[in-house]
Amino acid sequence: MNLLELREISKSFGGLKAVANLDLTISQGEIVGMIGPNGAGKTTVFNLITGLHFPDRGDVHFNGEKTTRLKPYDLCLKGIGRTFQIVKPFGTKSVIRNVMVGAFCRVKTAQEAEEVAREVLDFTGLYPKRDMLAKSLTIADRKRLELARALATRPKLLLLDEVMAGLTPKETDDMISLVRKIRDQGITPFIIEHVMQAVMALSERVVLLHHGEKIMEGMPQEVASDERAIKAYLGEEYVVARG
Amino acid sequence: MKREEGRAIPLKIGRKTWIALIGAVILLVFPLFIRSPTFLQFMILILWYAYLTTSWNLVGGFAGVLPLGHAAFAGIGAYISSVLFIHYGLTPWVGMFAGAFLAAIVGVIIGTPTFKLRGAYFALATIAICEALRVILENTQKFLGFDINGARGILLPLKGHSPINYQFLDKRYFYYVILVMLAIIFYITYRIARSKLGYYLMAGGEEKEAAEALGINVAKCKLIAMAISTFFTALGGTFYMQLVHYIYPRGIVSLDLSFEIAFIAIIGGRGTLLGPIVGAVLLVPAAELTRTYLGGSYEGVHLMLYGAVLVAVMVFKPRGLMEPLEAFYRWALGKFSLQPLMQTDRGE
Repeated sequence: MNLLELREISKSFGGLKAVANLDLTISQGEIVGMIGPNGAGKTTVFNLITGLHFPDRGDVHFNGEKTTRLKPYDLCLKGIGRTFQIVKPFGTKSVIRNVMVGAFCRVKTAQEAEEVAREVLDFTGLYPKRDMLAKSLTIADRKRLELARALATRPKLLLLDEVMAGLTPKETDDMISLVRKIRDQGITPFIIEHVMQAVMALSERVVLLHHGEKIMEGMPQEVASDERAIKAYLGEEYVVARG
Repeated sequence: MKREEGRAIPLKIGRKTWIALIGAVILLVFPLFIRSPTFLQFMILILWYAYLTTSWNLVGGFAGVLPLGHAAFAGIGAYISSVLFIHYGLTPWVGMFAGAFLAAIVGVIIGTPTFKLRGAYFALATIAICEALRVILENTQKFLGFDINGARGILLPLKGHSPINYQFLDKRYFYYVILVMLAIIFYITYRIARSKLGYYLMAGGEEKEAAEALGINVAKCKLIAMAISTFFTALGGTFYMQLVHYIYPRGIVSLDLSFEIAFIAIIGGRGTLLGPIVGAVLLVPAAELTRTYLGGSYEGVHLMLYGAVLVAVMVFKPRGLMEPLEAFYRWALGKFSLQPLMQTDRGE
């Protein structure tokens, strides 16, 4: 079954077409990666799915239900979790309290929320740092916290916006295996990533976005070696020069 | 080391409970030995400010916005309960809830559009609303058939010692009433801080977008906090009316009071449980003393004092005085080697 379906969605900001006639489906359990140069509209797609922006045209369907104009908090309750490219921790609070905020999405009492949070922290490897203030974490741990908080809401679909950006190779490897572990839990990850190593290793299908349009879709190897991908990333001249 | 601290937490709660109990007993007993009504009045004012600030703190502290017009709600409480008492003889014990419910409704109506404003704009909007209410009150003789006498204000018909009508000749009764009110709002805040709502308010105040992505209806949470906060602020307004028997618009629906509440919270520590109480204990005596000694000749000196303290706190301890106080508390525990004692606590 299709977990997520985008049907010809478009979004403009003023005169700028951020996303144009985008069709996309993601089925339960597959890992889809979205790539594209800066400004291609990747994050806008995430914002359209999570209700941060509403599409000008087209519809979003999640889990067999039309969710086009729902608010972010309703979509979270329905099972869409996300992380932000620019991490947004509740800086003055401890790691565990950050994750508890997410956990309250499914439970009522602080005690239950703490149990869920401990579980998630253990799963993401942040447990030893649970009492540290969120703002004192390293960037890698902040990305992990962002992920842990979203996981605590028990999502079906998890949108990961550049969770590997700025990580060392070792940290990237850890994050890759964490994303796999998440998929094995029955959560469907949808990733935006610039780190090609990660996209290649993780994705079963890759979508290439350029100027808000989907210019191709396919197996990771296929897309990476395609002329159009190289053009989009490196520009026409590069292809011409390489001749 | 981290782990050790983690284990010590339940013990610390035990100790804090003891301190709170001893504090409560002292607060309960000491008016029995006080003869001076002036001093008692002084204590009542401290408790009253602590009460109003704790109510304010639900929105201004936990929800992370800065309302600077809370005096409007105290005014609503005082006016409604008094008008009902004067016209229908309805005891303020009941009338105060009418005022409180109205204040909560007004709070939600005001909050719905203004919570969309960010930072200073929200603060300005609340100032404007408080000022507008004052001007309206000052220029309205009759409201829905009730005399409110414009700028002259209203006088409470005195019944002597009449507990049923919320009127006492002995100030000690007022002392106990406000002490109980403070205990109630403190307990409510304590419960909220540890509940889903408390976490949601914190999250919405710190990072709105992240909070919404985690399933939080930030606007709704803020409105709930606003309703609770304004409800209790209005009860505080009725209390003030019963205490002084007379109100006029500028006397209660004033920016002075609104700012004082916010200053006390900021200096004590916004969003902390004890911050408003610490702030009130520190600032109200200072303000009252300057008012007593300089009030006749230099009106507003206490506000200058507030300003000076506020600037000093903002520069040196921007998150309020609760932080250094807690650090001192922990230091004192270590200094007087209370560690063994703590272990006996755990045994119990």
